[in-house]
Amino acid sequence: MRAFEYASPTTKEQAAALLGTQWGEREVLAGGTDLLSLMKDFIVEPKRIVSLKEVKELQGIKFSSSTGLRIGALATLQELVDHSAVRKDYPSLRQAAEGVTSPQIRAVGTVGGDLCQRPRCWYFRNGFGLLGQDESGKSLIVDGENVYHAILGNSGPAYFVNPSSLAPALIALGAKVRLFGAKGARDVEAAKFFVTPRSAQEREYVLGPDEIVTEILVPPAAGSRNATYEVRHRESLDWPLAAASVSLRMSGKNVSSARVVLGHVAPVPWPAPEAEKVLAGKAVSEQLADEAGAAAVNGAKALSQNAYKIQLARVAVKRSILRAAEGRA
Amino acid sequence: MAQPLNIPAANVRVHQDHIGGGFGSKFAPDIWDVTGARLAKLAGQPVKYMNDRRDELMIAGARPSTFATVKIGAKKDGTVTAFESTSWGTGGLTGAGAPPIPYVWKFPFRRNHTAVSTNIGPSRAWRAPNHPQACFVTMCALEDLAAELRMDPLDLFIRNLDLKRTDRPDLYKSELLKAADMIDWKKKWHGRGDSGSGSVKKGLGLSLHTWGGMGHASECRMIINPDGSVAAELGSQDLGSGTRTVIAMVAAESLGLPVGAVQVNLGDSKYPVSGGSGGSTTVGGVSASTRRASVDALEALFKQVAPSLNADPANLEARGGRIQVKGDPSKSMSWKQACAKLGVTPISVIGKRTPGKDELINSGVGGVQMAEVSVDVETGLVKVDRMAAVQDMGLVINLKTAESQVLGALIMGITYSLFEEKVMDSRTGTMLNPNLEFYRLAGLGDMPEFLIHIVTGKEQDDRGVIGLGEPPVVSPGAAISNAVANAIGTRVGALPLTPNRVLAALQKKGGVS
Repeated sequence: MRAFEYASPTTKEQAAALLGTQWGEREVLAGGTDLLSLMKDFIVEPKRIVSLKEVKELQGIKFSSSTGLRIGALATLQELVDHSAVRKDYPSLRQAAEGVTSPQIRAVGTVGGDLCQRPRCWYFRNGFGLLGQDESGKSLIVDGENVYHAILGNSGPAYFVNPSSLAPALIALGAKVRLFGAKGARDVEAAKFFVTPRSAQEREYVLGPDEIVTEILVPPAAGSRNATYEVRHRESLDWPLAAASVSLRMSGKNVSSARVVLGHVAPVPWPAPEAEKVLAGKAVSEQLADEAGAAAVNGAKALSQNAYKIQLARVAVKRSILRAAEGRA
Repeated sequence: MAQPLNIPAANVRVHQDHIGGGFGSKFAPDIWDVTGARLAKLAGQPVKYMNDRRDELMIAGARPSTFATVKIGAKKDGTVTAFESTSWGTGGLTGAGAPPIPYVWKFPFRRNHTAVSTNIGPSRAWRAPNHPQACFVTMCALEDLAAELRMDPLDLFIRNLDLKRTDRPDLYKSELLKAADMIDWKKKWHGRGDSGSGSVKKGLGLSLHTWGGMGHASECRMIINPDGSVAAELGSQDLGSGTRTVIAMVAAESLGLPVGAVQVNLGDSKYPVSGGSGGSTTVGGVSASTRRASVDALEALFKQVAPSLNADPANLEARGGRIQVKGDPSKSMSWKQACAKLGVTPISVIGKRTPGKDELINSGVGGVQMAEVSVDVETGLVKVDRMAAVQDMGLVINLKTAESQVLGALIMGITYSLFEEKVMDSRTGTMLNPNLEFYRLAGLGDMPEFLIHIVTGKEQDDRGVIGLGEPPVVSPGAAISNAVANAIGTRVGALPLTPNRVLAALQKKGGVS
């Protein structure tokens, strides 16, 4: 790890002022579960760390039945799991946070950090750049070890998968991400927060280098049925091989409208409108959920080693729908 | 260490009190040991040299791979008549040993093994070198044979044991029956793939294993001080497997003292030479030398105290912290009083275990393991539900540490069966997972219920002490793979059993039966 300057602002204005206009020189520290390992492996080498730990206004979770959840960017995954409103109305969020099966990581990892963590692609983490390319700019991933890489949105040059545990659930619930920077605050739909970079110098989200995530706003979900299902190799702490979150609005026994979002299958959390169409207006059954799963991966395209992930994504969609419909906590 | 540093061996002293795991690195010094010593010489200061996780996983060496094709000749009743294997594998730059296939079984056989050198980094001894590979190839082929013959593999194994096709066949048979009882085999076993509807399929698998475990050469210095304190000194080391405990127990029992009365000094080359801890050879070596040193030291003490008890030294015994005339506790004195008779000169005796046959110790153990698994055929995820291990290890010195060894081996076994894999990038030659994130180890959530039975009794006691470190890690790969084949109706031909591989095997078979 390189030596760095450590700044500890107490307001978001100070924090934004301490950041720069270029990526790389300065990095934001929240829980640190990702940033520290990136620094130890020399994947990022910031000259200044801007810690948000003392910015009190970024902490905590609030709930009102009229406006929904307001999750501070510094709220930990464990606070999310424990929050009474999350437990009652947002099982998809709780299940997603519980998918991080390490109590230690949940205790320090933050909601904002979950959204802003960098991809786990092992080419990126071994120093081959965000897009995993050789010196000539050719992808190492396409003909390489791509067993964990993207099956959707993988026409290049990005093949990594978005690592966020919470993003699929937040998008399915219609959340907004509030950002703050030198030019003030702005709200971005969670669905539009993530972008697929075209070059290794870009990042995987619309957040600017001089901006921070301050809070996440989730509309009321009472009456909706929502759930997350992850397929992980290990029961113990592990990255999902595929995940899906769904949010169903019901009209009697039938689904009136659905949001279905896949995780860990594409460079961004991947909405599946084809699956949503399958569900609309129908009563959930095992067969319907399976059809929705098949529709969700209709456009998937395997790389050389990861065809199995198409099956896993399909199953994750099916099981998340069934879990939501059953209202299982 | 002296040679690469070009200094007299007498000028080198090695301290290694606590290791916390040997990981195949317990014999010759490695390049990093020598480099650390050279740096210390240059700096004139102590130097700590540490391979971080990335360095360790990339350069320290890994277990060699093995791939094989097998043909078996058998009668319809399961009697195996011939076993042919063609195998190959790589240990990287340094090649690899040839796995002993067929494993445990003495079938008429023909084998051809090719060791391939590659640029993936060196090989290193991994708990029971060559055995897990040979076991996997052999036991999986036999389970496939049983499935082909529509036989319960337990019956097939017992049929061939009845034909005396292994060493110690009666022991293996009794172990198989015990393990079958523990895991309820006869009630739960079903034909291959005949595991009902639903996406989660259950299956059972079994395997046998063996290992040598003959004690290495060892010297122990036993010191009895005039104040009554006792020390056992050996240039051995504790890998975390209970070597200290075992030495203290052998000495204490020999001297009629509580275990806490024996100070065990290890981990320093100033103590008498006592071999490297590899190949499950430590417990045999140190227990034999400690026993002999204790007995000889006690004899010397008896000579000193016999006159005070008006007895022949040969007629004395040490019991319950006292020295007494055999069978007559009224003629006795406390251990402390007895030692006070030494005046100012402690007793210092060397006990030896020299190579070759030895009446105190032995080699060759037999073990049986059975696994029960659940496989989600929609996701390819394998969960081990239960593992039963029945293990022979000759004379058991300490049951608790023996059971712990087996538990540790089963945990390690589940890890290599389901998770561990070194992933190399063929274009760049980089190891892509030199971390514990994608080089996965099983965690608490991945643990099954463990059922462990250590075989004890006169037969075991008469054989003497045999090493246990390696044998119980041999069978899990084969037992778990066999259980998965039983559950899903087809063989997943490689370890680890990843969702990717399980789903590919199911697809090749044409779906779930």
